[in-house]
Amino acid sequence: MIYSKLLVPVRGRKVDDDIVKSACVLARRAKGVVYIVHVIQVSRTLPLDAEVTPETRSGEDMLANAEKIADVMDCQAETEILQAREVGPAIVDEAVERGVDMIIMGLDYKKRFGEFDMGDTVPYVLRNAPCRVLLWRGPMEGEEE
Amino acid sequence: MYIIVVGGGKVGYYLTLALLGEGHEVLVLEKDAKRCELIAEQLGSVCVRGDGCEARTLADVGTERADMFIAVTDEDEDNLVACQVAKHKFKVPRTIARINNPKNEALFKKLGIDVTVSSTNLILEHIEEEVPTHPLVHLLTLRGGALEIVEVRIPSNSSVVGKRMKEIVFPPESVICLMIGGRGAQVPTGDTILEAEAQVIAVTRPEAEGALRAALTE
Repeated sequence: MIYSKLLVPVRGRKVDDDIVKSACVLARRAKGVVYIVHVIQVSRTLPLDAEVTPETRSGEDMLANAEKIADVMDCQAETEILQAREVGPAIVDEAVERGVDMIIMGLDYKKRFGEFDMGDTVPYVLRNAPCRVLLWRGPMEGEEE
Repeated sequence: MYIIVVGGGKVGYYLTLALLGEGHEVLVLEKDAKRCELIAEQLGSVCVRGDGCEARTLADVGTERADMFIAVTDEDEDNLVACQVAKHKFKVPRTIARINNPKNEALFKKLGIDVTVSSTNLILEHIEEEVPTHPLVHLLTLRGGALEIVEVRIPSNSSVVGKRMKEIVFPPESVICLMIGGRGAQVPTGDTILEAEAQVIAVTRPEAEGALRAALTE
C-alpha cells in the first residue's frame, strides 16, 4: 500500500519521535507528506479561540522537534497547532479535511486503577476515523527499547 | 453568543441543533451518559455529562462567560435550581426555563428566572386560537403572570351587541384596548357601540378573566 498523506498527532509523549519517524518512512516511499499536528484542549471556561500562550509555546516546541526529525529523514512535513474542546474529534476532523490516507497515533503504556488504559482520544479516533489508523504503543516500564 | 442548554432530551437536542445552525457556541449538559454520547456523535463536541444543578459542574463548563442559560429538562425543579445557580452565582445575564406544570410559572418569575416557557400553556393557547367557538383567547402574559392580554369574540346572541361601551359593567382592573369589527380596528370610547362578532382586546387580571368573558359574551 502507498500512503501519500499521513496525519501524526503529537502530544509531547515518549512515543512521539517513533511515530514521526514511522510516518516519514511510509510517506517517503510515495513522496508524500506528513501532517504533524498538536491539539490544544481549550477549557470550556475560555472561548475556543482564546490565547493560551504556555500551551501554544509547548506545542510549538513539540512541532519543532517533530520537524527536525522529518528534516533528518528527508521527508516533507507540515505542522499545525489546533485548538479544540476535545482532542479526538479534532484529529478526526483534521483527517477528513486534509483527506489523509492514514493516521499514526502514539500511546504510552499507562495503567489506571491497575488496568491498562488507553484514555479517551485513541478509542474515539479508532471508532470514528474514516481512514486507516496505525496505533503505536510505547514499551512497558522496564521493557528494553 | 455562548449558550448553555441543560437537558439533552428531545427539546434540548433540537434546540441545540437550531442554535448551532445560527452560529452560536452551544454546550449541552446532560446527566445520562448514553444520551450524551449520542448527542456528541451527532452534533460534535457540544455535550458534557453532568448535573446542571451543581455549581461545580457549571463552573467547569464556563457558565461565568455564558450569555444565555436555558434549562429544558422535564423536571421543573431541576430547571428552576439550574437557572437560579446560573443567575445568582454565575451572573448569567439571561436565564430561560422550561415549565411543565403551568402553575409553576408565577413562582419561577418570582424567583428571578428571566423567561419561562410553558409548553402546556403554548398548546392551550394554540387550541384557543384554532377553535373558533372559544370565546376567550390568551394573547400575552405581562408582569410575570399578574396581568394578561386577552381577546374576546362577541357572539351575535350576546346581550351587549348594540350597546355602548359605557353601558357595560366590566370587572375592575380590566381595560378594553381595542375593538376589531366591521369598520376595522378602533380604540373604543364610552360611546363605541359593540358589534356582533367583533374581537375585543383587553388587559385584565387572570382572576377577572371569567367575569370579563361573561360581561361580553352572555
